[in-house]
Amino acid sequence: MVGETLIRALCAAVAAIGFGAVSNPCRRSFAVIGLLAAAGYALRYVLMQGAGIDIATATLLASMLIGFGSLWLGKVIHSPMTTLYIPALLPMVPGMYAYKAVFSIILFMQNLSDPVQAAVHLNAFFLNVIVTVSVILCMTVGASLPMFLFARRAISLTRGRKKPGA
Amino acid sequence: MHNSQKLKEITVFIADYASVLLGSGVHCTRVIRNSRRIGESFGLDIKMTVFASSIILTVIDAAEDEMCTEVVVIPQIPVSFELNSELSALSWRVHDNPMGIGALKAEYQALLAKPRLNSWIVTFLVSLANACFCRLFEGNLGAMTVVFVTTFIGFRLLRFLKKNRVDHFLAVILVSFVSSALASLSVFLQEVDANIAVATSVLFMVPGVPLITGVIDILENHTLIGFARLMRAFMIVLCLAVGLSCSMVIFQKGLLW
Repeated sequence: MVGETLIRALCAAVAAIGFGAVSNPCRRSFAVIGLLAAAGYALRYVLMQGAGIDIATATLLASMLIGFGSLWLGKVIHSPMTTLYIPALLPMVPGMYAYKAVFSIILFMQNLSDPVQAAVHLNAFFLNVIVTVSVILCMTVGASLPMFLFARRAISLTRGRKKPGA
Repeated sequence: MHNSQKLKEITVFIADYASVLLGSGVHCTRVIRNSRRIGESFGLDIKMTVFASSIILTVIDAAEDEMCTEVVVIPQIPVSFELNSELSALSWRVHDNPMGIGALKAEYQALLAKPRLNSWIVTFLVSLANACFCRLFEGNLGAMTVVFVTTFIGFRLLRFLKKNRVDHFLAVILVSFVSSALASLSVFLQEVDANIAVATSVLFMVPGVPLITGVIDILENHTLIGFARLMRAFMIVLCLAVGLSCSMVIFQKGLLW
């Protein structure tokens, strides 16, 4: 399990850096984004696989770790929290559940004449949508929590940042 | 103390600053706070109303009993975390070491002129990211390779469509269809987890920034703009689903599990 956790943490770091690149982050924040993503994803994986915690609760705790990490490291590199934790959260987006929800709609529409099959697909659709929405909500609330708890510190992270080229 | 012309100049600057900050994906409270901070450095008070596509800003000079109002449209610019950080830092710099409006404008223009990351490097990084994402969904090496290639093609296509000013929602549908259809071809390759490859192939377009800033805006009582952002994110996800559904209907038999 340790080996698999490390591989997943590495993949999460690469995924966060790559997806973050679309939003044009500062060059110095790449390493922090990767570190936060790896730590958050690894924690969620261990909580789910090792402790048997459900995906929503595990995501909430992992995103809190990412949120507190971005508050601390944001001060070090003078970057706002959101520019660090948004890309770091992306590897935890429940893409497979969203995909299954879309697939369930297609299968539901194609089985309207068979009430039993239609009910199975409709049930699968709601299950996947509920998991997707819950996980996204937990991600956002968990990572934003430190911003509300330590508001004064969170709003002054960019204070003292050097002028570019200075 | 400012004369009317100076007050107008400061108002136009702060309105432009706020609109660019909001356009680059910053949540509402921070835009208001940073703008107020700049206003305070000139001894001015600022009242702002933020809508999804425009900002109404009133700058008040209490000493002269004068005020100036400006309405500005929020530009449709790509999200930029660097601009987000640099513009926030600029508001602190002018707050801690007050400077003239001329010097402030010069520094602001220099920040806006900074080039973004090279587009081919971004394409490579996004493709690699999506391939790693595929691994997180239990995809094997074959699926990761397929996802890397389809993401590379899809991302370049998205850039091309945006450059040619194709509507963003239409572009997402097209790219989602092309990426997932290419990934669906892997149903003919036995060593590839086709379902995982198809599911992951479109995820590079998930609108993470508006999804998260939308929730933050709602939590901070800016419900209107929060919902507008979430609605936009939802529309993009819907477009992703439409493009994905089209290719899934075509390749359905190979994808059923």
